[in-house]
Amino acid sequence: MRRRLISVAVAVGTAAVMALAACSSSTPTEASGPVTLSYGVWDKNQVPAMQKIADAFHAANPNVTVNVQLTPYTDYFTKLQVAATGGEAPDVFWMNGPNFQLYASNGVLQPLTDVQVDTAPYPESLVKLYQYQGKQYGLPKDFDTVGLWYNKKHFDAAGVKYPDDTWTWATFKEAATKLTDPAKGQFGAAAQLTGQEGYYNTIFQAGGQVVSADGKSSGYDDPKAVEGLKFWTDLIAANVSPSQGQMTDTAPYQMFEAGKVSMYWGGSWDAAEFTSNALTKADADVAVLPQGAQRATVIHGLSNVVFARTKYKLEAQRFAAFLGSKEAAEIQAGTGTVIPAYNGTQAEWVAAYPQFKLQNFLDQLPYAKPLPVSANTAAWNTAETDELTKAWTGAEAVDQSAKRLAESMNALLAKEGR
Amino acid sequence: MPSAPAVTGGDSRVWRDRGGRVAAHTFLIAAVIALAGPFLWELLTSFKTLAESTKVPPTVLPEDWHGDNYGEALTGIPMWKMLGNSVVNAIVRTLGQLLFCSMAAYAFARLDFPGRRVLFGLFLTVLLVPSQLLVIPQYQIMQDLNLLNTLTAVFLPGMFSAFGTFLLRQFFLALPVELEEAARLDGASPLRIYWSVLLPLARPGLIALGILTMIWSWNDLLWPLIVTTDTANMTLSVGLTSLQGQFQTDYPVLMAGSLLATLPVIAVFVVLQKHVIEGIALSGSKG
Amino acid sequence: MSLPAGAVAMVDEAEAAPVAVADRPTAPGRPRRKRKGRLDRHTGLWAAFFLAPTTIGLGVFYLWPVVQTIYFSFTSWGPFGGHTFIGLDNYEAIFQDPQVGVAARNTLYFAVLGLLGLPVSLVLAATLNRPGRKGVSAYRALIFLPVVTMPAAVAIVWRWLFNGDFGIINSLLGSVGISGTSWLSNPDTALLALAVVGIWSTVGYNMVILMAGLQSIPKQFYEAASLDGAGPVRQFTSITVPLLSPSLFFVSVLSVIGSLQTFDLVYVMIGKTSPALPQTRTIVYLFFEKAFIANDRGYAAALAFVLLLVISAITGLQFWLQKKWVHYA
Repeated sequence: MRRRLISVAVAVGTAAVMALAACSSSTPTEASGPVTLSYGVWDKNQVPAMQKIADAFHAANPNVTVNVQLTPYTDYFTKLQVAATGGEAPDVFWMNGPNFQLYASNGVLQPLTDVQVDTAPYPESLVKLYQYQGKQYGLPKDFDTVGLWYNKKHFDAAGVKYPDDTWTWATFKEAATKLTDPAKGQFGAAAQLTGQEGYYNTIFQAGGQVVSADGKSSGYDDPKAVEGLKFWTDLIAANVSPSQGQMTDTAPYQMFEAGKVSMYWGGSWDAAEFTSNALTKADADVAVLPQGAQRATVIHGLSNVVFARTKYKLEAQRFAAFLGSKEAAEIQAGTGTVIPAYNGTQAEWVAAYPQFKLQNFLDQLPYAKPLPVSANTAAWNTAETDELTKAWTGAEAVDQSAKRLAESMNALLAKEGR
Repeated sequence: MPSAPAVTGGDSRVWRDRGGRVAAHTFLIAAVIALAGPFLWELLTSFKTLAESTKVPPTVLPEDWHGDNYGEALTGIPMWKMLGNSVVNAIVRTLGQLLFCSMAAYAFARLDFPGRRVLFGLFLTVLLVPSQLLVIPQYQIMQDLNLLNTLTAVFLPGMFSAFGTFLLRQFFLALPVELEEAARLDGASPLRIYWSVLLPLARPGLIALGILTMIWSWNDLLWPLIVTTDTANMTLSVGLTSLQGQFQTDYPVLMAGSLLATLPVIAVFVVLQKHVIEGIALSGSKG
Repeated sequence: MSLPAGAVAMVDEAEAAPVAVADRPTAPGRPRRKRKGRLDRHTGLWAAFFLAPTTIGLGVFYLWPVVQTIYFSFTSWGPFGGHTFIGLDNYEAIFQDPQVGVAARNTLYFAVLGLLGLPVSLVLAATLNRPGRKGVSAYRALIFLPVVTMPAAVAIVWRWLFNGDFGIINSLLGSVGISGTSWLSNPDTALLALAVVGIWSTVGYNMVILMAGLQSIPKQFYEAASLDGAGPVRQFTSITVPLLSPSLFFVSVLSVIGSLQTFDLVYVMIGKTSPALPQTRTIVYLFFEKAFIANDRGYAAALAFVLLLVISAITGLQFWLQKKWVHYA
C-alpha cells in the first residue's frame, strides 16, 4: 500500500515537445506578504528529499515557505477527497494516475497555465498521463518499475542460483519451493494481493490485459488474465507463500525485512525502505522480473498538482513547476528515494544505492506496461480487492472470481462514459 | 464431648475461609494478568527489532534493549505537537462542559421558568442520538464556519453535553434547598447562589463529569479523524492510525508509539486513581 | 465506552422523573405566589442566561444536524460535494443492499458477545467486595487500566497479540498443544477476537459500577441470611443479584449501546483490505465507509437515520425488559 499504486503509463525514451493550451485570461497576482504553502505527500521515506526541495525553493523565493504534510498512502486519497470537498486540501500535492482524471474532471485541480512549463525533458507517456482536455495539470515527478527483490542469504543457504534475466515463471516457482522451509517459518515468495507489484505484472506477462486500450471493457474475463492471477494463488495453495490471512497480519514487505520471505516483488521505491532495515540492507538484492509468455513490468509515475481552490494560485504553480525542475530531480536522485522523471538524472539514482543492482529497474523499461487507469479507476480498484480476496483466501476458484470481477468492472466502466 | 464437633466445625470453617481466600486471590491474579498483561507485552516488544519480534518461539526479554523504535515513532508523527493538541482538546472540552453543563443543570434543577419541560424534552432528544451519526452535518457546519482542519473544530462540539447537564442536574436536585434559601434571604442573586453555594457542594459530581469528559476526549477517534487533515492539527488517537498507516505491521515501532500515546493518561490515572474510580462509580449510581 | 451518555441519563430519568418534573422549588404554603409575575420575568431572564450556552451549543451541533441528516438522506452527493434531491432512493437502496443486513447482523453478534463480559465483571466485583479482602485498590486499579487506555492504542496492541504467526496468544496456545489461527484476518474468528478486546476494555468499568452497587446493599441482609443458614452462593443469587439489578441493568444498557456504536476497533484492527472485513463490518463502520471513503453521503445519512430509529427501538426494548427483572429498592 505505502506508495503502491504509484505508477502509470509510459514508454520512456521518446520525448515530445508539448505545446500548452493558451493561458487563462485572468492572471493571478502575487501575494503581498509572506506565503506558506502546504505540500501533501504520502511516502515517509521521501519526506527528507521533499523537505530539501522545499528548502531549495524557499531559498530562491524567500517569501514562500513550504510545509510538507505526510499522510500515509492507506488514507491519502480518502483524506484528500474529504479535504478537497471541504476546500481544505493542501495547496500542492502528489497525484497518481488512477486518481488524476477523477480530480481533474471535477475541477479540483488547477492547470499549470500561469507558469512556464517545458514538458520536453520528461517521458512522453508520463506527460500525457497528467493532461486533461488539452491542459497540463502536473509535471512528472518520478517513475517506478517493479523488480524481483530477493534475500541472498536464503539463496546461499538453499544452494539456489540468484535470479537473473534468464528466469521464467517455472524457474521462479522451482526456486520458491526450494527456499520454503516450514521449520524456520520461511516462505519462498509472498503472493501479495496488489495489482501494481503483483498480479498486473503477471497478467501482462501472460499476454492478458486489465482494461482494454479504449478504457471501455475489463480484461479479467480473458483466460490469459486468469493465468496471471493463478500464478499467485498457486503459490499460496502450494504453501510456498504465506496465506492471505498471514499477509494481512504482517505485511509481506515486512516479512521480507524480517527474513521470513525469500523473494518479494517490489517497486524501485523500495530501495529506500530496504536500506533503512539492517537485515535487508545487508542481505537483499534485486533482479528483473521472471518472464512468462512474454516479458513485462508495470511502470507508473507520480506528478505534483495544484489545488484549484488554493489561496496562492501563482506561488503554488511556481512551486509545482519547481518540483518538476532539473534541480529538484537531482535532489531526488541524490537522496535516492525514487527514479526521477527528468531525463538524464536517472543514473544518479542508480548510484545512490551501490549495494543493490538498481540498473535492473531501468533495464526493464523497453517492455514496461503502463499501470492501467480509466476515468474513475478507484471504483474498480475496490472491486478488484473485494472480488479477488475470495480467490486469494481459497474460498473460491480463480476463474469464478475473475468472471464476477469482469462483470462488475464492466458495469463501472460503462458508468464512467456517462 | 459436646465441644468436639464445634471445634472441628470451627477448624473446617477456618480452613474453608483460607481456601476461599486462596481461590479468590488466584482468580484476581489471573484477571490482572489478562487485563494488564497486554501492557507488559507492549512494553517488551517496543524494545525489540522487527526481526526479533518475529522469532518463533518468541523471546520474552529483548536480546538487547533497542531504543530506536521510539525514535522512529517520534519522527513518524509529530508526537509532541499531537500530545499538545490532545491536552488542549481534553482540557477545553472538560472546562467547557463543567461550566456550561453546570449552568444549565442549575437552571433545570432550581429555576422555575416557562417552557422548562419542553426544553428538557429537547435535551433528552439529544441524549438519545448517538453523536457519531451526526458527523456529516457537523462536518458541513465546520466547513461553513471555516474551521475545518483546526483544533477548534476538534473540541468545539464536545464542549456542550446533554449528558453532563443531566448528571449535574441530578446532583443539584439531591442537594438540600435550605442553604440556598438562607442565601436568597440575604439577597443573593441566582448567579451568586449557583457559584458560591451550589458549585462547591456539587464537587463530587463535577469531578465525576470532569474525569469522564477528559477520558472520552482523549480517546475519541472518529470526529478528529474526519475533521483534521494536517498532522499538525491531529490528536494522538488519529496520529496513531497515521503511524500504523506508515509502519503497517512493524509492531515494535507501533508498540513504542502506542505506549507513548497512552502514557500520559496512565500517569494521570495512577496519580488520581481514587478520584477516577470514585467518579466513574458516582456517574453509574444515581447522584 | 464511547458515549454511555444516553444510558446514564435514561436510567436516571426513569427513576428521577416523577420527582424531578414535579417542579420542586415552589414549595407549597409560601407567600411567593403573589409576586409570581415579577419573579417569573426575572427567573426567565436568569434561566435564559444559565441555559443559553448549552442550549445554543446543543442546538447547533446536535439538534440541527438531526434535521439535516434527515434532509441529506433524501439527496445524492457528487464525489466532491454538491447534492441533488432524489426522494426515497437512498432508503430503497439500503433495503436492497445485502451489506446492510450483514453489517446489522455483525453488530448484533458483537453486542451479544459483549454482554458475556458482564458475568466476569460481576464475579470480579463480588470477589473484591468481600469484607476484609486485601489489596483491593491495587487489584481494582490494574483491572481498571484498560478502561482509561485509548481504544486506538489498545487496538494496535491487540493486533499484535492476535498476530497469527508471531503473536503471543498463539505462542501460549502452542505451548499447550493448541494451534491458533490468524485471529483477526480469519473470517471465522475475527468478530470473536474483536469481542474479546471489547470485553477486555470494559470489564473494569462495569466492575467499578457494580462494586458501587454492591456497597449500597445493606449488610444486615447478608447477616440475616447467614443466620438462616444461606451459603455464599445462595446469598449471591437471592440477595446480591436482585438488589444489584439496577446497576446490572445500567451496565447492560451501556454495554449494548457501546457495542452498537463500535467503530475504532474495526477501523484500527481490521482495516480496509482485510479478508475478514465483511464479517466484522459494523453498522457505524459501514456508515463511515459510505460517508468518508465512498463519499456517498446521502446514502450514509439515510443509513444514520435508520440506525437512529433502531437504537431507539432497542433502548426502548431494554426499558420494557427492565420492568420484568429490575428491582428498585
